Amino acid sequence: MVGLSEGEKHFIRGGIAQDLRADGRRRLQFRALTVETGIIPQANGSARVRMGATEVIASVKAELGKPTILHPDKGKVSIYVDCSPTAAPMFEGRGSEELSAELSVGLQRCLLGGKSGAGAAIDLSSLIVVEGKACWDLYIDGLVVSSDGNLLDALAAAIKVALSDTGIPKVNVSLNNETDGEPEVDISDEEFLQFDTSGVPVIITLTKRQSMFQAVVQHQFLVNIGATISLVEKRPSLFSGVYD
Amino acid sequence: RGHGTTDQDGEVVATLCGVVERVNKLVYVRTLRARYKPEVGDIIVGRVIEIAPKRWRLEINFSQDAVLMLSSMNLPDGIQRRRTAVDELNMRSIFEENDVVCAEVRGFQHDGSLHLQARSQKYGKLQRGQLLTVPAYLVKRRKLHFHHLEQYDVDLILGCNGFIWVGEHVVVREIADLKEDEQKLSAEAETFTPIETRRHICRLANAARLLSALGFTLTVELIIQTAEASVSSNVEINDMLGAEFYVQTAEGEAKRRGDLLGKKR
Repeated sequence: MVGLSEGEKHFIRGGIAQDLRADGRRRLQFRALTVETGIIPQANGSARVRMGATEVIASVKAELGKPTILHPDKGKVSIYVDCSPTAAPMFEGRGSEELSAELSVGLQRCLLGGKSGAGAAIDLSSLIVVEGKACWDLYIDGLVVSSDGNLLDALAAAIKVALSDTGIPKVNVSLNNETDGEPEVDISDEEFLQFDTSGVPVIITLTKRQSMFQAVVQHQFLVNIGATISLVEKRPSLFSGVYD
Repeated sequence: RGHGTTDQDGEVVATLCGVVERVNKLVYVRTLRARYKPEVGDIIVGRVIEIAPKRWRLEINFSQDAVLMLSSMNLPDGIQRRRTAVDELNMRSIFEENDVVCAEVRGFQHDGSLHLQARSQKYGKLQRGQLLTVPAYLVKRRKLHFHHLEQYDVDLILGCNGFIWVGEHVVVREIADLKEDEQKLSAEAETFTPIETRRHICRLANAARLLSALGFTLTVELIIQTAEASVSSNVEINDMLGAEFYVQTAEGEAKRRGDLLGKKR
């Protein structure tokens, strides 16, 4: 991140106080969003989101696996974020590990709910194929290509779009009489099931200084505390995560 | 046989894409999008990245960092004297890390490093504004790089290295006043830039961003023109970076160039 002189910081602070930021946006205005889908043909679903200079890519891969013993009627989802070294010099080598972990956990909490599974956005029971025996494992990967602030929002948007673009192949299961053996599954190449993403939240990050959206990198130095709120269309209650 | 050419079977062949220039017997190829190449007398804007013994190191969008010697800088109390060890220890009070500084290229030293000087009143620390980065080849060398836009009360400095400073107008005054100024800055809570000036700064900055994204050479007139066009078309400041105004500006420029060609004929 480029350093800022005291004079510039003073100027930025003034801008926020007067509701006119460096590129002319008001405090509560977003940057223009560009979304593309289907950029990774090998993945089941993918999306690229651009917000100003921030660019992130999300991909969804589905594989058949076994459900856990604790939740035999639910599929599994794993979310992982990686910050590419091309995004910022500090991401080289192991520099990005902390940030990646933070982003991954944040997204997991928003999309998968708490420990008990409450408030989850992705309905895990829809991922089941044969109860107790086979289920879909979703691997959601996020890649930060270039970073100019507001990574969480961009990643959440990318994941939402990628999920809506995801096609999970239809599976024909041939039942076996054995209870221990693996059921034979025939994965169809043609038919796909679309995901219901109306439940997937949109994440907005507010920073406390004078509540503003979309803190660009230059504003990060001002952030004492930021609250990330994920809003879901269907459900009236808000699920919120607070981070510092 | 100079930069960008090579000898192939006795023929001089270009290795780079660009314009062929000839100076006496020297033939070289000048590329259009070259990296910034400093020349003596260039006015540049840089950011301090390091304070070293008796000098500051500045980042100027070049392959190496430029050096501003303590002796090439006016002292705060204005008198010309030998720099002592006390001055060296007080370097931080003049420029700190991450400060934005405006200076002039003095030349290359024998060891290949680039030296700057900031002896005149108009050079020095830049505060109260914002710094933009544009590709260096869009800023051509002109007679004037400092522009004081009276109608907006804004200073616009087009650094040849591609760093452009847009900020509040600073009255060039005696250096003795600088000390009180700094105290004011640190004691400031609400002496922010007035909103009208800030609006102008944002508009000009957005105009510069827009023009650099379109690839047009940056000149003061063009920036002012674009900013005024945005006002007359009632475009909101933040919408200046949106698609419609982009297209409008590009069309305006195309029309202007078409008219120019028409006049020439």
